[in-house]
Amino acid sequence: MTAHPDSTHVPPRVWHAVTSDLRPVRRLRPPASRALLVAPLALALLVAAPMTFSWRLDLVRLGWALTWGASIAQVIVGLGLVALALREAVPGRGLSAATSGTAFVGAGTMLVVVTLLAATSGDVFRPGDPWRIGGICFGGSFASGVPVVLVAAWLARRAFPLRPAMVGALYGLGAGLMADAGWRLFCEFSGPAHVFPFHLGAIAANTLCGVLSALLLTRRRN
Amino acid sequence: MGTFAGEDTQLRELMRGYQQGRIEAFEELYVLLAGRLRGFLSRHAIDRGRTEDLVQEAFLQLHRARHTYDPAFPLMPWVLAIARHVVLMDVRTARRQPRFAPADAAPEPSVRADADRLADRSAIGAALAELVPSRRSAVVLHHVRGWSFREIAQKLGIEETAAKLRSSRGMAQLRSQLGGPEPPPERRGEARR
Repeated sequence: MTAHPDSTHVPPRVWHAVTSDLRPVRRLRPPASRALLVAPLALALLVAAPMTFSWRLDLVRLGWALTWGASIAQVIVGLGLVALALREAVPGRGLSAATSGTAFVGAGTMLVVVTLLAATSGDVFRPGDPWRIGGICFGGSFASGVPVVLVAAWLARRAFPLRPAMVGALYGLGAGLMADAGWRLFCEFSGPAHVFPFHLGAIAANTLCGVLSALLLTRRRN
Repeated sequence: MGTFAGEDTQLRELMRGYQQGRIEAFEELYVLLAGRLRGFLSRHAIDRGRTEDLVQEAFLQLHRARHTYDPAFPLMPWVLAIARHVVLMDVRTARRQPRFAPADAAPEPSVRADADRLADRSAIGAALAELVPSRRSAVVLHHVRGWSFREIAQKLGIEETAAKLRSSRGMAQLRSQLGGPEPPPERRGEARR
C-alpha cells in the first residue's frame, strides 16, 4: 500500500483499498468455455447410475431417441444452462427477460415432452411400491446433481453475480437436467405418476439448491 | 460517434492497464468515470446526500470485480451494472434501518444558552461541505439524525470505534472552521486523534 498523495483525485478510502490490492488479475475466460469444466462431471453422471445399478429394462423397446438421444439432449441443454448462468454472473452481461424465460420454459417443455412420449410409447412398467421407488429416484437423482451445483456455484462466485438467485436457478436447473439424464437410463418407470413428482421433483430440488447456494455465496462476498 | 468510439477504446485500454496492476491507469479511469458515476448515482440514490459515499462504494466494488471485465466488450455497461447493484444494496440497507419513534413522542430538546452565538445554517452547511465525505456522513448521521454509533457502523460497514472517531474528528474540524469554543481539556486528545 502506498501513501495517499495530495496530487490524486482519488479519495483516501478508495486509494488505500486499491493500492493495498493492486496485483495483476487473471481475466475470466468466456462463460461457454468455463461451463465446459462441468462437462466431465456431466458425462460421468450420464453413465454412473445405469452402470452402478442396471440399465433400464425397456431400453431396446423405447429406442435410441427416447433413451440415449433424450439423455444426451438433457446433458447438452444442462451445459447450456450452466453457460448462461456463468454469463449472467458477469456484470454488464446479464440475460434479458426473454432469454432467461426461454431457457426455463424451453428446458421444462423438453422434459414434459420426453416424459409424455416415453409414457405413450407402449406398455409402461409400474413400480410395486411407488413411494419407496419414488424416494430412491428422487434422492438418487437429487444427490447426483449436488456435485454439479457445487462446481457451478464455485465457478459463478469467481465471477461477480449481481442477480444471484437468477444465476443459481439457471445452474441448479442445468445440474438437475444432467443428473436426471443418467438416472432415467437406469429407471424403467416411465409413467407420469412416477416421473413428474419424483424425477422432475428432483430437478426442481436441484434448482432450489442452486438458488440457495448462490444466495449464500454472494452474501458471504458482500 | 467517432468521439464516442475513441473514448470507449481509451476506457478499455485504461481498464486493461488497471487489470495488469498499473495505478496510473486506475487514476485516469477514476477521473474519467467519477463524474458519470456521480450523475448516475445521484439520479438513482434514495438519499442524494449519500452520493459521494456511493461513488466510493462503486469504485470499491469495481476494484473487487475488475477481473470479470472482458476488454472485448464496452466498459460502461459493466461499470453501470455494478453501480446499479451499489444503489440496490444501499436501498436494501436503508430499508433495514430501525424505525425511530415518532417526533411527537420524543422529549423536547433543550436549547443551549449560547444558541444565539451559534453559526447560522448556511455557515454550517458550508463548513459541512468542507469535511471529507466519510466524516460528514458520520457527523450528519449522529448529530443531525440522532443515530447511534452502532447503527452508523452497520450502515457504513465499519467498526463502531471508527464511526466514533470519524464523528469526533468531523466535529473538531467543524468547531475550528466555525470559530466555536475549544472542546474541554479531557476531550482534546480525542479530537486530535
